[in-house]
Amino acid sequence: MKGRKRKDILLNLLPLVSILLFILAWLVVSGGESSLIPTPTAVFERYLKLLEKPISKTSIPGHIWASLKRVLLGLLYGSVFGISFGLLIGWNKTCNRIFKPLFELIRPIPALAWIPLMTLWLGIGETSKVALVFLGTIMPITVNTYTGVRLIPKINIDAARVFGANNVQIITDIVLPSSLSAIIAGVKTALGTAWMVVLAAEMISAKTGLGFMIIRGTDVLDLPLVIFAMILIGVIGACISSLLTIVERKLCPWKSEIN
Amino acid sequence: MQNNKKTEQIELEVRRYRAIEKRSRLWDILLGALSILAFLVIWQILCTFEVVDAKFLASPLDVIRTIAVKVADPKPEGNTLFVNIFASFQLALTGFLLAALIGMPLGLLMGWYKPIDKLVRPVFEIIRPLPPIAWIPIIIVLLGIGTVAKSFIIFFTTFVPILINAYTGIRETSQVHINFARTCGYSNWRIFLTVGIPSAMPLTFAGMRIALGNGWSTLIAAEMLAANKGLGYMITMGRTYGRVDIIIAGMLVIGVIGLLLSGAIGKLENVVLKWKVKK
Repeated sequence: MKGRKRKDILLNLLPLVSILLFILAWLVVSGGESSLIPTPTAVFERYLKLLEKPISKTSIPGHIWASLKRVLLGLLYGSVFGISFGLLIGWNKTCNRIFKPLFELIRPIPALAWIPLMTLWLGIGETSKVALVFLGTIMPITVNTYTGVRLIPKINIDAARVFGANNVQIITDIVLPSSLSAIIAGVKTALGTAWMVVLAAEMISAKTGLGFMIIRGTDVLDLPLVIFAMILIGVIGACISSLLTIVERKLCPWKSEIN
Repeated sequence: MQNNKKTEQIELEVRRYRAIEKRSRLWDILLGALSILAFLVIWQILCTFEVVDAKFLASPLDVIRTIAVKVADPKPEGNTLFVNIFASFQLALTGFLLAALIGMPLGLLMGWYKPIDKLVRPVFEIIRPLPPIAWIPIIIVLLGIGTVAKSFIIFFTTFVPILINAYTGIRETSQVHINFARTCGYSNWRIFLTVGIPSAMPLTFAGMRIALGNGWSTLIAAEMLAANKGLGYMITMGRTYGRVDIIIAGMLVIGVIGLLLSGAIGKLENVVLKWKVKK
């Protein structure tokens, strides 16, 4: 009994050890005089300096908001169009026959590969970035909505029809709720893609945003700034994904496998 | 007699049903082909009659011509198509194999042995929320723009989904199977090898498929930011030289290779997981 307790304590100490080892490793790698990697304190000092002297006249929240706005706008358009399109090709057979092959033709091209074409078409402003996020998000959302609609047991729809429901009622009362968890899973994937696309687009051409911060840091070899931006990106990404999990739990409480 | 008649009737029904199904499948293919054809024709018309400025869009025929020319011609960015394809392909595979070699065993061990989980998990959770793209600049600063740097980037991209899926997969091993093996006197290590790993494989393969897709698209981004060959480099250079045909041709090739890669993983899965019951 006693031995077991001690073992438990040791087991729970391991995460602490692991974090300590991580920090130690960081200190060791950044320790040497010639080392390019900045120390944790250097990163913190860079943060303090950033408060006084913002990059490209935008404060830290300003940069965060610039990236977030692009992600959210693109995701909004992507969700609206993706869900409608997924419903359309999942529900209507003719539409499925016509549009599915076209969709499958475009889908394998990664959103990031659209960057050159989009900057050519729409310039390097906000529009092209939102359009890129839109392209990146519409694919997973459409696929998931489509799959969700296709997985609905036919008997549910038939039952509704027997009771005299019309198509609109069937879609709002049966199809949408049944495919909701699949749609949310799609939005979750889409969010990851959106975040990635925004960073890449900002790295290639932007004046604001977290991706811009990183690339500015590398351009002038200001690595503490790069690390600071990376930490920000990680923290915000983690916040958003846990926020989405909460939303998921609220919207479809019947789904048990949410971890 | 009666029975015979009934069988005949059923057979007739079945045949009719099959005919309908066949017709519907034919209809599927026909409509699909038609829609793609219509798409291409509209695209071609837009270009031939210069509805869209030639600066912004190259016609499908031009794109095909560009691909054909690019096979042997290194202009404008300095590499033939095959050199670019090979460069990207090699990087994607190196990074991916490295990630599979480290990520899969680590994920499996983490899922099975609690102390390893407790030790590795926190560091992993720190790294995980960071999109792989964010690693690109710092890796380029530290390691340059060569093969090693890019393989590292692909490694980071593919490592996370492979590890997570291996971990989740082995966590979902049926407790009944484990208990059964234990009753038969198997050691924990042996249960891990003979029960845990096989039951984790389907999810692990799903992870590898995701990883390869992510890796492929991250690689394109990495090549856009800094490279002197590769498909991502080719399309960025197409943008710089104002050659829309090269951009679209490159996108097409990127898409096709992405499909081939995921198809290859599917084939591998079928070979390795022969025992898996097909739906």
